[in-house]
Amino acid sequence: MAISRVDLLQGTLDVLILKALSWGPQHGHAVARLIHASTDGAFDVLDGSLYAALHRMEKRGWVDAEWALSDKGKRAKFYRLTTPGRAQLRAESATWKQYASAVSKLLNATTQPV
Amino acid sequence: MTIGPGWRRLFRLRGARRWIARDVDDELAFHMSMREEKLRSQGLSPDDARTSARTRFGDPLRIRDECVAIDSRYAQEMRLMEWLTSVGADLRYALRTLRRTPAFTAVVVLTLALGIGATSAIFTLVNGILLRPLPYPQPDRLVRLIQSYPERGLTGWGVSPQNIALYRDRGTDFEAFSAYRDGGMTLSDASGAQRLTVARVTADFFRVMGVSPVIGRPFTRAEDTPETHDVAVISHALWESHFGSDPGIVGRTIDLDGQPVRVLGVMPAGFGFPSPEIKAWMAMGLDPNRRFGWINVGVGRLRPGVSVAHAERQTTAIMWDWARGEAEASGTVGVDPSRTHMKTIVTPLHEAITGRTSRPLKTLLGAVFLILLIATANVATLLSSRAAAREREISVRAALGASRSRVVRQLITESVTLGLIGGLLGTLLAFLLVRTLTHSTAISLPRLGEVAVDTRVLGVTLVLSLVSGVVFGLLPAVHATRTRLAAALSSGQRGSGHQFVRRANSSLVVAQLALAIVLLVSAGLMLESFRKLMSVDLGFRTDDLTTISLRLSPRINSAGALNAFVQTALAEVRAVPGVRSAALGWTVPFEGNANVDGYLIDGRATPSTGNEDQIAQIGVSPGYFSSLGIPLLYGRDFLASDDTTGLPVALVDELLAKRYWKGTEAIGKRIRVGGDTTWFTIVGVVGNVRDLDAASPPGPHLYNSLPQVGGNPLSLVIKTPSDPRGTIASVRRAIASIDPSIPLDDLRSVSSFIDRSLDTRRLTETLLAAFAVLAVVLAAVGVYGVMALSVANRYREFGIRLAVGAAPNALVRLVLGEGARLALIGVAIGVAGGLVAMRYIASQLYQVSATDPLIYAVLSLLLVAIALGACYLPARRAAASDPLLALRGE
Repeated sequence: MAISRVDLLQGTLDVLILKALSWGPQHGHAVARLIHASTDGAFDVLDGSLYAALHRMEKRGWVDAEWALSDKGKRAKFYRLTTPGRAQLRAESATWKQYASAVSKLLNATTQPV
Repeated sequence: MTIGPGWRRLFRLRGARRWIARDVDDELAFHMSMREEKLRSQGLSPDDARTSARTRFGDPLRIRDECVAIDSRYAQEMRLMEWLTSVGADLRYALRTLRRTPAFTAVVVLTLALGIGATSAIFTLVNGILLRPLPYPQPDRLVRLIQSYPERGLTGWGVSPQNIALYRDRGTDFEAFSAYRDGGMTLSDASGAQRLTVARVTADFFRVMGVSPVIGRPFTRAEDTPETHDVAVISHALWESHFGSDPGIVGRTIDLDGQPVRVLGVMPAGFGFPSPEIKAWMAMGLDPNRRFGWINVGVGRLRPGVSVAHAERQTTAIMWDWARGEAEASGTVGVDPSRTHMKTIVTPLHEAITGRTSRPLKTLLGAVFLILLIATANVATLLSSRAAAREREISVRAALGASRSRVVRQLITESVTLGLIGGLLGTLLAFLLVRTLTHSTAISLPRLGEVAVDTRVLGVTLVLSLVSGVVFGLLPAVHATRTRLAAALSSGQRGSGHQFVRRANSSLVVAQLALAIVLLVSAGLMLESFRKLMSVDLGFRTDDLTTISLRLSPRINSAGALNAFVQTALAEVRAVPGVRSAALGWTVPFEGNANVDGYLIDGRATPSTGNEDQIAQIGVSPGYFSSLGIPLLYGRDFLASDDTTGLPVALVDELLAKRYWKGTEAIGKRIRVGGDTTWFTIVGVVGNVRDLDAASPPGPHLYNSLPQVGGNPLSLVIKTPSDPRGTIASVRRAIASIDPSIPLDDLRSVSSFIDRSLDTRRLTETLLAAFAVLAVVLAAVGVYGVMALSVANRYREFGIRLAVGAAPNALVRLVLGEGARLALIGVAIGVAGGLVAMRYIASQLYQVSATDPLIYAVLSLLLVAIALGACYLPARRAAASDPLLALRGE
């Protein structure tokens, strides 16, 4: 199922990035690839928005940035999840799951509720 | 592989936009290259790959700018946080250090508090009196107008009703013009009789001042005519105290001097022009045809854009016109505008009110600034001595990695903290001082009621605290940067840093002594000047003299009754036990109620100006001269027979007599006062009196017998023993027995009048003396501190000297000698500086030379002696050095 480019809400993008980083520090390009891969290409984020979000999250203290060498030997900026970032990820995930389950419940209802 | 934390810190510290932009560019470039590579590996051509990558990115430039903006803000916040944290750490450390040495901190804070507090207090005075504009709308357009006719000896002369009307009607430079005079009136009602200061003003007064009553309304020109002028506006204070803030006062009639006066309104609280004691403003009853009575002061509001000089020229022209009219009417020669010096004097109102205090206040400000300098120098000395002791601590910190600038910042934080604490205490001190000054009844500075510590003063105080904190912190901070690490860490070595500190301290002490001498000398000169003023022979005796003001009812004031009253009253009062002598008169010297007018001498050709000169005319009873101790030189005093039935007689003073006659020739000559046609025959000559200003030479006086010239109110002057209260009560009863309706007010000792006239001088010299004492104390403390430190640092040297056989006394002499050297240098510089500075206050000195060698010599010796005294204790300590301890080293 390919959903063409969807305008994602800012918060959604943030939680996707946080999740992507939860598996370990990545640079921006890798985060983009991870998101694309994990959602089977459903969410196609504009690269620029990703970087803006990363910088914003660094300012808010959810991620830390550090220059390091990539596996190809090039100098890149790596982002790492911080403790507050992890907490934010947990909170956002919980909210999403609640939201999703609530919507599913309604959509799966066979009879009209009283 | 990550690069160490140093890089991260670098990134954060190097928050310059340049670096941030470069980082963002690098990051985005990396992404782009990765993306392109990926696309190329999928089979696109390099160009297509690039285009596709760019498209997938979005708007690269916008994103780049957005990221740079986010990062810059982030970096800024980080910098601020870091800075605040380190400043906070510095502050906490500073407070801890200060708390560890409470005595030292207390001394420093106290010294600063005194210096800053005194400066703030005086600046509050200067601000409230000289700097702040008057509290009326557009106050810079208000001016005072008086007249001057130097050829006739009239340098500051009031305006008559005719003058007022002319300036008002023809003075196009004025938006509004009015005039006022003040005097006393009695308010009588059910609760009794009370004497009030009442100003008589014309109807335009309220328009000129720009202030209207808060309730009710001002009076109009129609209500200010010669026929009807029984209207007034009362002050807020009177409304509260006497009428219980009752709004029904508007329209009510009150009794002033026996006349019914309708109250039309109440002025706002705090309105006090021409003086804060005025309780009511009553219509003058302006009569444009009345030429006499040059006793009013003109006040006007200039039109926008009109200069004071222009208004002066215009009103002078009006004055000449008037004089020409006068001359034609009286057949005398008029004024020649091209050669006369007759003119109006128009002064901005602010200057008219505060002008005379300008120099004294500025002198005080200069003096208190010297105190501040001395205090700052003192604290600098103290701090630098302590810094020398903390050398080790500073070196350790430097060894542990603190940069020089960081250490300096720490020290400056300490000193600024001290400065701020001292400034805070100083502000409290200033509050107290200002409160004392403004609530003191002994001081009569103009606008004193408006003086208060306001934001400008607080701002100045804050700036002073910060600046002085930085200034005296510089010395130890500079010393700290010159500390050599190794030398300081190894004990027993005293490097060149110490020598620098010692020299700096010595210079500071010399500076303190110099400043102290300047203050001492100025205080000494002022004191001497004041003393001379107080001992000026005024021409009359003031000891044990009390004066009471009597307001006679119109019934008594009629011709025949007055004589009877004078005789009876004096007889009754003199009969009171304790009254050594008593007399009545229009005024006593320094009270200022004499009638000033021109006069003519019988037998001399009438001068072209119409009058010989100005003279002060006073109506008196027999016994006036003996009560006041004015010597009778020739002829006789007044007698009871000098009444309406007898020949009009007069006494003149020696000044007048000598002008026209020799010796006793004055007796029998006749004199006449302008505006009166009666010729008075001179029957006696008395001594001169100074009755307005102790510093000015006396003016001529003419004395008349009371029944022949009338007079109301009268001053009863009595000579009593030291504590007059019991006697006064009996005197009141005696007067009441003659006429119970006479209110007896304004009970004052004659000397208090004179004291009032010297008020500003007294304030100046008292404060200067206090500052001088403070300066000497501070300088002495400074000398002690420097000497003590010097001795402490040289105990090894002294120990060795003692060990090789020097007598302890020799050491004492050594130290004292060094102290004396400092003191002499300081005093010499101070005297030189003083000679220059004294030229500024020379104008305020009375018969004292600004370079009086005796005062300089005495005070210099005094200061040197005090400085030596301060060296005494350290000298003793030097002599008591333990040679063994010193030789052992450490």
